[in-house]
Amino acid sequence: MHEDYINIILADDDEDDRLFFSDAFDELKITTRVKTFNDGVYLMDYLNSEGTVLPNVLFLDLNMPRKSGLECLQEMKKNDKFKDIAIAIYSTSASEEDIEKTFVMGANIYIKKPNDFKTLKKVLEEVVTINWQYYTNGLNKDNFLLRL
Amino acid sequence: MKLHLKFDFNAICRKVLNEKLLEHNIKHKIVGFGEVKLLEKVSADRLERFSNDLTAYSIEIVENQKSILVQKIKDTITDMVFNNDTPTNLKASAYLSDTLGHSYGYLSNLFSEVTYTSIENFIILQKIEYTKQLIINENLNLTEIAFKLNYSSVAHLSTQFKNTTGITPSAFQRIITKRRELKSQTN
Amino acid sequence: MPTRILNKSWLIKSIFFISAFVILVIGGTTYKKIEDLSQSSALLTKTYKTNVELEKIFSHLKDAETGQQGFIITNDPIYLEPYHTGRENINYSFAELKVLGSDNTTLQNNLKELNILIDKRMEYFEKAFRFSSVGNYEDQNFNENFSNGKKLMDTIRVKIKGMIDSENQLLNKRQQTYDSDLKLTPMFLYMVLLLSLVLMFLTYSKIISDLKKIKSANEQLEIFKESTEQSEIIGKQGNWIWDIEESTFIYSDNLYRLLGEEPQSFKPTLDNFLNFVHPEDLEKFRKDIDRMMTYADLSFIHYRIVQKNGATKHFKACAKLHKNVDGKKQLLGITTDITDEIEHFKTLEERNLELERNNKELSAFNYVASHDLQEPLRKIQTFLSRFEDKEASKLSDSGVLYVDRIKNAATRMRMLIDDLLQFSRTNKADKAFEVADINTLLENAKLDLAESITDENAIIASNHIPSIKVIPFQIQQLFSNLITNSLKYKSNDRTPEIRITYSKVIASEEPRILRPKKPYYHKIKFSDNGIGFDNKYAENIFVLFNRLHNKHEYSGTGIGLSICKKIVENHQGFIFANGKPNIGATFTIYLPFL
Repeated sequence: MHEDYINIILADDDEDDRLFFSDAFDELKITTRVKTFNDGVYLMDYLNSEGTVLPNVLFLDLNMPRKSGLECLQEMKKNDKFKDIAIAIYSTSASEEDIEKTFVMGANIYIKKPNDFKTLKKVLEEVVTINWQYYTNGLNKDNFLLRL
Repeated sequence: MKLHLKFDFNAICRKVLNEKLLEHNIKHKIVGFGEVKLLEKVSADRLERFSNDLTAYSIEIVENQKSILVQKIKDTITDMVFNNDTPTNLKASAYLSDTLGHSYGYLSNLFSEVTYTSIENFIILQKIEYTKQLIINENLNLTEIAFKLNYSSVAHLSTQFKNTTGITPSAFQRIITKRRELKSQTN
Repeated sequence: MPTRILNKSWLIKSIFFISAFVILVIGGTTYKKIEDLSQSSALLTKTYKTNVELEKIFSHLKDAETGQQGFIITNDPIYLEPYHTGRENINYSFAELKVLGSDNTTLQNNLKELNILIDKRMEYFEKAFRFSSVGNYEDQNFNENFSNGKKLMDTIRVKIKGMIDSENQLLNKRQQTYDSDLKLTPMFLYMVLLLSLVLMFLTYSKIISDLKKIKSANEQLEIFKESTEQSEIIGKQGNWIWDIEESTFIYSDNLYRLLGEEPQSFKPTLDNFLNFVHPEDLEKFRKDIDRMMTYADLSFIHYRIVQKNGATKHFKACAKLHKNVDGKKQLLGITTDITDEIEHFKTLEERNLELERNNKELSAFNYVASHDLQEPLRKIQTFLSRFEDKEASKLSDSGVLYVDRIKNAATRMRMLIDDLLQFSRTNKADKAFEVADINTLLENAKLDLAESITDENAIIASNHIPSIKVIPFQIQQLFSNLITNSLKYKSNDRTPEIRITYSKVIASEEPRILRPKKPYYHKIKFSDNGIGFDNKYAENIFVLFNRLHNKHEYSGTGIGLSICKKIVENHQGFIFANGKPNIGATFTIYLPFL
């Protein structure tokens, strides 16, 4: 656990959001390696390339140029290679239906980007912890749905 | 005659560890000094035997003692929740300290130290996981589940479900059902 | 009306036949009576003649006797003259009487007897002559003969008198029958005449009244025709009748006008009409006509025509099969010029599209605005929180105060944007209705608000609500907003209590539902014990951005209840608020049975 790194990737076109995200993980006790991408195309290129260490948790912004978060999600759901990655939608806000839609499409986590940094830290910590619980306790990942 | 030896303790340790791990047929990677990464899941029993073997070399698995106990706590809780063979009137804390022979305070601290969550949270997580299974596989309604899992009320269960997962039980059921429909459509 | 008259014609017919029969009867009877009369009078005359002849016979006999006596006394042959003529006359009279008494056996028998008597008398005369010619007047035989003659004469007199009497009796009898005939015949004729007069009068009045009816029916027909023509012109309609078997047409005047022609200016035929049909619609029109011929019926067809001046008009036509009295098949058709309608419809459609577009743009704008505004605001807030964490210690007191104010303003802006976004989401029309367990939706709403409900120790009680076809997310939102509203405007001196009751109601029995779209409604009532409000604001409360309280007292945005109204309207329902200051507020929702 803490002797290991938790690999985390974020795809978000917003620079500020990427900054908050990395800062938040830096301030957490959990040892993580955070990688960020500017859009879905960069992300998928990286994930699809040989020898890539797949992340434990992938955070996807929905509104991204070139390839949106939903497109990435759909692409990954078609490929068994990515079946162990917990996918978190990391977005501004959406209606209840849209949130449910992303879950139905296979997302495990939906995070509404918080309005302050403390909450952001708390939320990200929770995601990683609960994901870790699923990972270490052999829980049925099909049932892993979390909304924060 | 005196021999002057130069020890590479690190290398020795690596060699011994490697041999012992192979002996126990544990897939592993020796990461660095005093750190071994296990590449597969190893049951608490096997780890205990491995640990006993290592005592001959005065190698002690520092973390593992804790890990084993934590694993035991988890196993006990999982058993308690999923098999519900525990006396319902007994509190989880009492049951755990009775079964594992440690004070609850010790167990609780150890658990938090290793897992970053509390025993209470873990119990809740397990209960909610069980609830999810019951909703989907057994098609039980919330009232039945609340009764089965010893919740004081349906409201209590659904509140806990919502707090843990962020979604309501009905939304959960809906999402899983739609997911299955989507899968059967694409297949 | 005409059928009623037709139906009554049997009455007139029967009256006519009865009258004809009566007149025949009258004619027959009259003829018979007159014949009877003339017969009676002939009989009378006969009797008279008979009597006269009988008298004559006797007087001739007397003449003969007188002549004989004169001759006997004077022996002058001059006296023989009356005797001879007397004899002759007696013979004539006899001949006459024989004729008169041909149908009277009594008379004939009497005549025979009389004849014998007269013959005997004549014999005595002859004997007397033989005696006188010899001058043997003193002869006993002559005296005897004379006295015998005298006796016989008396017998004849008696006989004749008897005959006359019997004839007189007969005469009397005949006179009586004749009299009675004469009396009864006019009476009978008069009665029959009266009867036939009455019948004739009845027939007459019947015919007159029928005539009146026909006249008024005709008048009405005339009026009807006039008004049909008027309505044809106003309604831009034309009538036509198509005699299917003879393939002839009758066009109403206005049909010509609709085609841009003078009334009855060309022969109404199918081909002539086809000349007007728009070339693009011709094929379809022909098909429709064929269909009409086959099925003798025509549901609405639409086509265009081109008038001679080049104007294109939209027509709509329909027809109905009608069998006339003779069993002839006719298609009665109406053709309407719907050009105006179509043009109105087009403009309306365009405007609707425009409106829809505007609405879409507006809600898209609203959505984009509120959605996109979230992002910079979130960053402001996040940076602010970072700033507070890291730099607050370096700030002066006023700096801390300013940061605090900025935070408050940002929080309020967040609330507004969130609510606006929610409002614009409820605006989206493409929501799917599904049957949902309303109790679960209510529970979910309570779960969403679990924290504040627990904080306020609020009691929320509800009775069972059946499953209703709704947009589930919106109903949950509705419940959530109503509970939030009740919790926000709670009274400070009581534990908040919200009672949710359900009942099924009939729209017409709910006075507040003014124009119900469905007969039955689900009525869900939210009552709280909060601060309530003055009922005069019951309507305003739902208006967007309308707030009854200062925002420093209560942190509302004035959107929450507007969203409630929007949601209920999306469901074709109604929502009403009712408040009593310091007692509580009640929100009543009516959702239709779908």
